[in-house]
Amino acid sequence: MFDTSITLDQFIEAIGDTLYMVGMSLLIGTIFGSILGIVIVFTRRGGILAFPMVYSTLNVIINIIRSVPFIILMVSITPFTRVIAGTSIGTNAAIVPLIIFITPFIARLVENSLLEVGSGIVEAAESMGATPLQIIWHFILPEAFGSLILSLATATISLIGASAMAGAVGGGGVGDIAILYGYHRYDSFAIISTIIVLIIFVQFIQSAGNHLARLVRRR
Amino acid sequence: MIELKGIHKVYQKKNTEVQALKGVDLSIDKGDIFGVIGYSGAGKSTLVRLVNYLERPSQGQVIVDGAYLGNQSPHALRQIKKQIGMIFQHFNLLESKTIFKNVAMPLILAKKSKQEIRSRVLELLQFVGLEDKASNYPSELSGGQKQRVGIARALASNPKILLCDEATSALDPQTTQSILSLLQRVNKKYGITIMIITHEMSVIQKICNKVAVMEEGRVIEEGSVLDVFGHPEHETSHKFVQTVMNTDIPSRIKEQLRQQGTHSLTKLEMVGEHATQPILSTLIQRFDLKVSAVFTNMIDIQNTTLAIWYLDIQGDTRNKERALSYLKQNDVLVKEVTV
Ligand SMILES: Nc1ncnc2c1ncn2[C@@H]1O[C@H](COP(=O)(O)OP(=O)(O)OP(=O)(O)O)[C@@H](O)[C@H]1O
Ligand SMILES: [Mg+2]
Repeated sequence: MFDTSITLDQFIEAIGDTLYMVGMSLLIGTIFGSILGIVIVFTRRGGILAFPMVYSTLNVIINIIRSVPFIILMVSITPFTRVIAGTSIGTNAAIVPLIIFITPFIARLVENSLLEVGSGIVEAAESMGATPLQIIWHFILPEAFGSLILSLATATISLIGASAMAGAVGGGGVGDIAILYGYHRYDSFAIISTIIVLIIFVQFIQSAGNHLARLVRRR
Repeated sequence: MIELKGIHKVYQKKNTEVQALKGVDLSIDKGDIFGVIGYSGAGKSTLVRLVNYLERPSQGQVIVDGAYLGNQSPHALRQIKKQIGMIFQHFNLLESKTIFKNVAMPLILAKKSKQEIRSRVLELLQFVGLEDKASNYPSELSGGQKQRVGIARALASNPKILLCDEATSALDPQTTQSILSLLQRVNKKYGITIMIITHEMSVIQKICNKVAVMEEGRVIEEGSVLDVFGHPEHETSHKFVQTVMNTDIPSRIKEQLRQQGTHSLTKLEMVGEHATQPILSTLIQRFDLKVSAVFTNMIDIQNTTLAIWYLDIQGDTRNKERALSYLKQNDVLVKEVTV
């Protein structure tokens, strides 16, 4: 019926690879990114543990990584990837640049979400004699939770895009299919299927994010 | 209970300095409801935030319940803060948590047991009249109700002091009244010392026993509310008093008096039971004087009446002198004023 050379199994495996890459890098990137985000919120001028030196350093590093387009970042850190993952091709190798790409992005998103929590809340917490950790845990994080969920949806969507690019250099996943079959072999079916899968992913993640955020927000 | 000595506070901005407080000395006794009033930018918020060290003074000492805050460790300072409740103009409640959780917050921070938290929170919610709202969220409450939650939360850790920064400024007059009554109950029932920041003299009038008037980073007048209302010494204090009590003769009446050839009046100021003495009849009958009340004003301050009368007293000069000394003996403040 369609003039295509890919099999359903190949396609399903590619989707699995994409989910794996996105999932792993999201998980690790969220951990690093959240910590980084919290640290820059704390250490900024007027923050709970103001430490301008730490803040400016991290700020610059985040900006530098964020200004490099993913495809260039991926290629330029190949030696580093090889050290970490033992190889520079394949799904596991793709996860390394994905984490480096998404961590500063998540840090920025987390920073914005946390800063949205008004200074009044922090002031109330301080007036109760809360420790810095209690302030973040009992006050800022719960108040920012809805916004953090939306930030995570945004990060996931941009990871899906980046993971498809990773396919272009042999990272596997649906991006790989699109390049290998669609681009090199003029297989439009492969391209269109890839696009449809990506659209479904993005739609699903965004609606799930919106729904969850509304649930926790209570505003 | 609270002592501020020689407080200066300078805010450093890029290239400029803002002198928010320029040498403030203040002493607040246990059980006081102490009001601080002033125009916007006078430094009121800065002052109240020094008391629980949300802000550190650039110079001077803050002493709370005998403890000098300047040399406390961060841990000790947090323990002291637990003794000082604070409520805010915009309530600062956690929108993502129920009313119960909001009130429970100070207890959760102090790692109290579930049972203890439960009984204390329910007791507090009952005290502020919100026992049926425990499982609601702040967004489902009115402003007045939110402030009640704020008060319950501030009381959770059994503080000795309650700080209120413009706690009623976002509320309508009726709700303001009910919050003020609640604060009065807090003061009476738990013996908590309250410091109230406001720009509304009516708040001072209704619940404070002492007041400090601030202007441009200084306390320009301080004293019992009755004294400041009775005879404000500073122009700004006078203006604030005028917002709730018209103690000046209106210019229209002054004009009439001048046309009639009256150039001086006798101003009487009476407080409490003295305010309800039969002054006029005594002056007329005992001293055989012609007395007319040109302008009078009475106001209720903390269940005490303050009365200010402007009288036009005509008659025999010696009788008048005797009358005035009689009044002074009866604790009436007498002053001749020109029109
Ligand atoms: N964090 C800050 N940084 C710089 N300047 C500040 C800061 N907080 C207050 N100020 C300045 O200090 C002065 C006093 O401010 P403060 O907030 O104490 O006044 P206020 O009497 O509470 O006024 P309002 O009635 O408007 O609340 C103002 O000139 C203000 O601009
Ligand atoms: Mg203020």
